[in-house]
Amino acid sequence: MRRLLRLAVALLRELADENAYQRHLAAHGRPHSGEEWRRFSEQRLGAKYARAKCC
Amino acid sequence: MRILRFFFWAAVALGAGICLGGIALYRGEHINSLWLVLAAACSYATAYRFYGKFIAARVLALNDQRATPAERLRNGHDFEPTNRWIVFGHHFAAIAGPGPLVGPVLAAQFGYLPGTLWIIIGACLGGAVQDFTILFASMRRDGKSLGQMAREEIGKVGGFIALVTVLLIMIILLAVISLVVVNALKGSPWGTFTIAATMPIAIFMGLYLRYWRPGKVLECSAVGFLGVLGAIFAGQWVGQSATLAPVFTLSAMTLAMAIIVYGFLASALPVWLLLAPRDYLSTFVKLGVVTMLAVGILFVRPQLQLPAFTRFTDGTGPIFAGKIFPFCFITIACGAISGFHSLISSGTTPKLIARETHAWPVGYGSMLLESFVALMAMIAACVLQPGVYFAVNSPAGIVGAAPGAAVATISGWGFPVTVGDMAALAHNVGEQTLFSRTGGAPSLALGMAHIFARSVGGQAVIGFWYHFAIMFEALFILTIIDAGTRVGRFMLQDLVGHVAPPLGRTSWMPGVIATSAAVVAAWGYFLVQGVRDPLGGINSLWPLFGISNQLLAVIALCVATTILLKMHGAKYLWITCAPMAWLVSATFTAAWQKIFSPVPAIGFLAQADKLEVALRAGTAAGTFPARAATQTLIFNARLDACVCGVFLVLVAVILLDSIRVWAGILSGRGDRQVHEAPFVVSRLRAEEL
Repeated sequence: MRRLLRLAVALLRELADENAYQRHLAAHGRPHSGEEWRRFSEQRLGAKYARAKCC
Repeated sequence: MRILRFFFWAAVALGAGICLGGIALYRGEHINSLWLVLAAACSYATAYRFYGKFIAARVLALNDQRATPAERLRNGHDFEPTNRWIVFGHHFAAIAGPGPLVGPVLAAQFGYLPGTLWIIIGACLGGAVQDFTILFASMRRDGKSLGQMAREEIGKVGGFIALVTVLLIMIILLAVISLVVVNALKGSPWGTFTIAATMPIAIFMGLYLRYWRPGKVLECSAVGFLGVLGAIFAGQWVGQSATLAPVFTLSAMTLAMAIIVYGFLASALPVWLLLAPRDYLSTFVKLGVVTMLAVGILFVRPQLQLPAFTRFTDGTGPIFAGKIFPFCFITIACGAISGFHSLISSGTTPKLIARETHAWPVGYGSMLLESFVALMAMIAACVLQPGVYFAVNSPAGIVGAAPGAAVATISGWGFPVTVGDMAALAHNVGEQTLFSRTGGAPSLALGMAHIFARSVGGQAVIGFWYHFAIMFEALFILTIIDAGTRVGRFMLQDLVGHVAPPLGRTSWMPGVIATSAAVVAAWGYFLVQGVRDPLGGINSLWPLFGISNQLLAVIALCVATTILLKMHGAKYLWITCAPMAWLVSATFTAAWQKIFSPVPAIGFLAQADKLEVALRAGTAAGTFPARAATQTLIFNARLDACVCGVFLVLVAVILLDSIRVWAGILSGRGDRQVHEAPFVVSRLRAEEL
């Protein structure tokens, strides 16, 4: 049950791009800041919404 | 242990056979929805365990020793080895759109049986196979898109046609789903207020996320969800207010114009302000509501009120005209097989797969779950009384605009309903009327509200649940409209950039505005056409969307077939060729009938001719505006015929091009080289999976 809950939270964080943001911080060795989030989200969302969404 | 396993799977397979046989052969009063759920669950489990595994092991020969692009090209952004169940959820959230919800509701006009069988069988043998093979192909090619793979494996013509087809489908898709929202909200102050309120809520979320709590997407989405729930309660008050209700009681044309303006703004505005926060919210709401519906159906186990077959199997249906073959198969669309899924399977998902064998649950399994969503939509539609179902979904142009005329027509079909029944139902859900609310969304919301209310709160809260369901449908349809317009704009910029380079620059504002306006104008035209259509628009536009979406699936299966041929010769050709042959026969027949059928309710050209004859004979309304409107209808019918013809020609070209390539490979003259990335041994550790 605990494992399932952990998996559900991980899925929600993946869908929310929060995991991707943590990976971005780790990859670039930078701390979290508003400026860093804006830089990340512009890059991430720009790529995300250049692809077709399903019907 | 092996014997136990054998008996378990034998029991599951037998269960699938008994349940499918039961629903196919039983002709009693009513059937319980649990039969459909069990038939689907056992069929999916059997197909996944045996057919999916056969494809994974023998045909695609998935190899966990081989490093996936997520590992080789790992960059922390797009390419990242991810837990398979997270990728599964991610992929499912991406492929689940309004199609599997609306299509089955419309197809229920034939009764529950044809649609249910196609949803289950089509997904197991067609949709899941397409999604799985395309995901595999893209994964072996560093996450390349369907268009790129078509260009590499079939030829340049294939790649170009794939791009143009996707753009055309996008235009029809955006028009038809906008029409679904318009028909759900017209004359509904409660619904209109709730949906209008989601826009400032989304903007608030965008600002919250960017400036106040950067990175806290889940927290921000929870705040947004509370805001949306508040908007539903406030909507009830607005709907009962003598001052505010008229402000939010809008006609279909006003709503269409509002959505067109919204689509343009959302396409041109920065994504963080409106599109992204709404998308986060709609994704979570979508997953939550789908889970709630599944739990609700299992908890309530409602009886299906619609029969297995209705009289409209003869092709005279009021929701859309045409016989079961081919129209049931193109109407169900995404619930059984969707060409659009191939774009997702060759988009984000292949870049997240950590091990090759994960493509089996992600590619094959996600489609089975999507099919189950379609089945739930079918159940939600079929729990309504048939008279109510047809009163809600039949256009006024067929059953009559006056409630008395409508109930007389529908009761005459053998589905009794009274004006009093409809008035009481409308009052209970807080609507002024439920007659002729075509498009599928209101009847799906009614069915869902029926199931939710029996689970929680009872009839006293059915109005809340109805508007909760409408909010859920409209929220993610609007997300698709703004994201789709944006993607359409990029595609158009990509195409026109070859002719006029400044227009191709995504950073040049005049180019952005011009191409956004062009895309919005294109789908907006078809939306307005649908709104003006006396038959409700859905009966023209939904088949066009279904045909185009299934034709895209033909393109995807052409690519998959070419790859299988290059890998194994003709040995496993039937795996992709069988669903492709079925789709070609269904979609080409449907497209041919939509263009050339002599029956005006089916054929666009016959419809235009009938209107022209009436216009010349003077039997069409004689005033100038009415004559002009008739001329517009004639033009639109011919335009729809042209669009249908263009789809046919495009896909016929790619099909013939593919057959030429296949013949070359089989005769030994053609290029058999697969364009896979080179083999690299995986070094991923178990804890990284």
